[in-house]
Amino acid sequence: MSNIPFLNISIWTIVKIFVLIGFAIYGVFAVVLVRQVKLMTETLDAGLDEFVKFLSYVHLAFAILVFVLALIIL
Amino acid sequence: MPDIFISDLKDEKRKAAVQPKTKSQLENAEGHSHNLFSAFYLWPEKVDFETKEDEEKVVLLLRRHLITNVGWILMAIAMVLAPMVITRFPILDFLPGNYRFIAVLFWYMITTAYTLEQFLDWYFNVYIVTTERVIDIDFVNLIYKEVSDADINKIQDVTYKMGGVIRTMFNYGTVLIQTAGEVENFDFEDVPNPTKVTSILQDLRLKEEREDHPGALG
Repeated sequence: MSNIPFLNISIWTIVKIFVLIGFAIYGVFAVVLVRQVKLMTETLDAGLDEFVKFLSYVHLAFAILVFVLALIIL
Repeated sequence: MPDIFISDLKDEKRKAAVQPKTKSQLENAEGHSHNLFSAFYLWPEKVDFETKEDEEKVVLLLRRHLITNVGWILMAIAMVLAPMVITRFPILDFLPGNYRFIAVLFWYMITTAYTLEQFLDWYFNVYIVTTERVIDIDFVNLIYKEVSDADINKIQDVTYKMGGVIRTMFNYGTVLIQTAGEVENFDFEDVPNPTKVTSILQDLRLKEEREDHPGALG
């Protein structure tokens, strides 16, 4: 495994930190999406509201799951 | 006193703008459906919106024609299939196995977000015609919305544009509404059956005029 000489840490540790930051940002986006769907369903009720809300929560759960998974397996 | 002028417009022509009184009339109304993904929804039963008044009835709910979604649906399918194709080439081979797995998961997350955003954009950007107003609901990005409305009696001119092979084939186009209200123009973009939308708006205008000036139009 290649190390960065002056820091004496693995390059993959640095990559892991960046990946986790990326997933954290994605998590924030997923939360914003849930808020957006809430705003949309409050503005317009066209019959599919519960389904769309469910999708946005599934998406958020997926984002959290992938973050945790990356934390564990990387 | 005999009538000087009697409008030639018979009720037959104004049927679409007349609210069905019975369930069977509603079911038989052309454009009425129970499909929640419909882009042309006449007399919808389950539609409600934030600023709706109690006495206001929704006459028409419009979205962009379904065919306008083909581009992003094809893109989403390509995005779903991309990892299967990419794994056949040694592009990601420099990554350890666990990183490759996470990279694929990340790609699917992006795909999900893209698909969801496109769907929400289509589903919630709607044009509503009620017995009192026309309303344009726009969600520009993740957290910005713009809701414009104009009273039916403020409408000055309704025209529609329908050009090109695809639009003619699938019968959709843009309905342009000029009003005397604060928002001068409403563009109902890529809505199905623009001829009918225009005729419904004109019928509603006539109806409003009749209500405002009962003797004016016979």
